Amino acid sequence: MSGSLGRAAAALLRWGRGGGLWSPGVRTAGSGAGGGGGSGSTEHLDALVKKDKVVVFLKGTPEQPQCGFSNAVVQILRLHGVRDYAAYNVLDDPDLRQGIKDYSNWPTIPQVYLNGEFVGGCDILLQMHQNGDLVEELKKLGVRSALLGEDKDQDSK
Amino acid sequence: LWQLPLRCARRTFASQTEGELRVTQILREKFPRATAIKVTDISGGCGAMYEIKIESEDFKEKRTVQQHQMVNQALKEEIKEMHGLRIFTSVPRH
Repeated sequence: MSGSLGRAAAALLRWGRGGGLWSPGVRTAGSGAGGGGGSGSTEHLDALVKKDKVVVFLKGTPEQPQCGFSNAVVQILRLHGVRDYAAYNVLDDPDLRQGIKDYSNWPTIPQVYLNGEFVGGCDILLQMHQNGDLVEELKKLGVRSALLGEDKDQDSK
Repeated sequence: LWQLPLRCARRTFASQTEGELRVTQILREKFPRATAIKVTDISGGCGAMYEIKIESEDFKEKRTVQQHQMVNQALKEEIKEMHGLRIFTSVPRH
């Protein structure tokens, strides 16, 4: 099992150009109204992770990830055809970078949140992708994974 | 007695880096019930990045993210020095 995991992981961690034809809604944290707390505060982060169904904190952007693990997250979401997600670049904001680690009590970036709930980092997302859990979780959010293929509504004779 | 298999592991002791040994030792202390621990420096020996595989009863019935959290907590101080780490947890088969 570890063999295939290694191969798949290696493929995803390879530096790719990432994205291309689409651009997910890259939001900048910390911008917008409301001064209290700052970009690393619990309230602010709480709002960020709940604002969108799929939220990721990355090093870099989906178009240009600055780290292999962040890139892996971007590629997995792309494989599933998830286009509409919030991606926050922690390299832009040191308060955010530290704040999100405190918020989730998780020491590393990337971090993936589904429906406001912390799911894990790149290893966990990769595992979920490989064992089919990610398709299920996306389904629960009302997001249909591209890997499910065509709708089976057609008549078959 | 279960520690014997760990010592006579496939890799020779001498081929491990100091960092690998230290991390392994900490995991052994924090997870005394672990049946398998393997720590590999995947940063070319620089101590910047580790791959950690650990199998233990402690992970039973916990979600993967919780299992990883346990490892994160155990290695809290070490992780501060690392650039990144990969964690693979599992529960013993029998």
